[in-house]
Amino acid sequence: MPKCHFSDVKISGIVTCVPPLEKCIDDELELFGGNVKQLERLKKTIGLSKRRVVDAQTTAADLCEKAARHLIKEAGVDLQQIDAMICVTQTPDYLQPCNAAVIHGRLGLSKNCAALDVNLGCSGYVYGHWLAHSLVASGGCERILLLAGDTISRLVNAKDRSVAPLFGDGGSATLIERTVGAPSAYFSLQTDGGGYDKLIVPAGGSRHPKSTETAEVLEDESGNFRSPENLFMDGAEIFNFSITEEPKSVKELLEYAEIDADAVDHFVFHQANRYILSNIAKRLKLDLAKVPMQTVERYGNQSSASIPTAICGELATAIADRPSTRLLLSGFGVGLSWASALVEVGDLAVCELIDYTA
Amino acid sequence: MELKTFIKNFEEAVEDVEVGSLSGDSVYRSLEYWDSLAVLTVIAMVDAEYDLRLKAKELKQMQTLSELHALLKSKQSI
Repeated sequence: MPKCHFSDVKISGIVTCVPPLEKCIDDELELFGGNVKQLERLKKTIGLSKRRVVDAQTTAADLCEKAARHLIKEAGVDLQQIDAMICVTQTPDYLQPCNAAVIHGRLGLSKNCAALDVNLGCSGYVYGHWLAHSLVASGGCERILLLAGDTISRLVNAKDRSVAPLFGDGGSATLIERTVGAPSAYFSLQTDGGGYDKLIVPAGGSRHPKSTETAEVLEDESGNFRSPENLFMDGAEIFNFSITEEPKSVKELLEYAEIDADAVDHFVFHQANRYILSNIAKRLKLDLAKVPMQTVERYGNQSSASIPTAICGELATAIADRPSTRLLLSGFGVGLSWASALVEVGDLAVCELIDYTA
Repeated sequence: MELKTFIKNFEEAVEDVEVGSLSGDSVYRSLEYWDSLAVLTVIAMVDAEYDLRLKAKELKQMQTLSELHALLKSKQSI
């Protein structure tokens, strides 16, 4: 995908919704076989601590719907005037229909509304923005609701140290509208399908349907337990991928936009974990004060919802204080897929993190 | 890439290892705190200090710090 830019498109509001149930790595010493030092190193080096997770009844669609309702109310949006809804998720309610159709019905949107899902994770929020921006810029839509959310905690095996203490859940809603004179937004999007098995839930799709065999939990060489229906992550390879591709992607987008890194107010990366983010920031020689990275220790790695959570949770005041804030958004992960966007936000109708209530 | 400097960098990258405690003959994979987290911090050190990509698989194939050093030197000359 060549890089591209759009003008006259405005981000009008962002809301993120997190489940109220908080788990903390300090309470999970038995997962580390009583190894206090290992747990302390994970806290100190990787930056793991607390995470918010859903109960067995709550889905990404629920979190996204709650975020969307709050956004619609605060921004005073007329439901009849939403032309399209894009749902980014890898944990939909059903294999079919898509979450976008389900939530469209629950919100009572107009029949003259395009609704579709995007099956992407950590890069998905940026991909969703790219789609929404291009639909508005092409003249096809005036107003788009972009929902991005996942419940990855429901895919991990509780006895898998490589993923269980890391992932949290969240759902977000972002309003994107045509506004003549809105500043340009720049995008770059990339994929390396050769790494599709580095972050994967092997069973449950059409290739390996669920069976008694795929439900069997096995121990791996590191003493972690998971079944093929659980999420698997090759942590070292994902780390290598992130520190190789992310700095490159960010640099290239800034060059394309002809904007100096100093002119960017905040670099909002997918909140994978503090260690990956500080390594990426170091390679780009970024001022760490411009790089929010506390989202993981508060909420966990939330896949597609992590960038909006970082914006609403760590930057809401900074954005509200200025007429305009330049953000570089960058997501990377499952696919392997990565994408960066340079956008300006200001005068947001709402920029808020809320707790989920059923 | 000097072996001595590499060993020092390695010791600093892996937590709970005292600087000066390892030599070229040290079998790093038998260190008490050699785990997936140590793998990450060594990969990050190699990337930051030497601008080389080290794979987790390669760390599993080598035994001693001298062997690992030789592998990185061979990558550097490519």
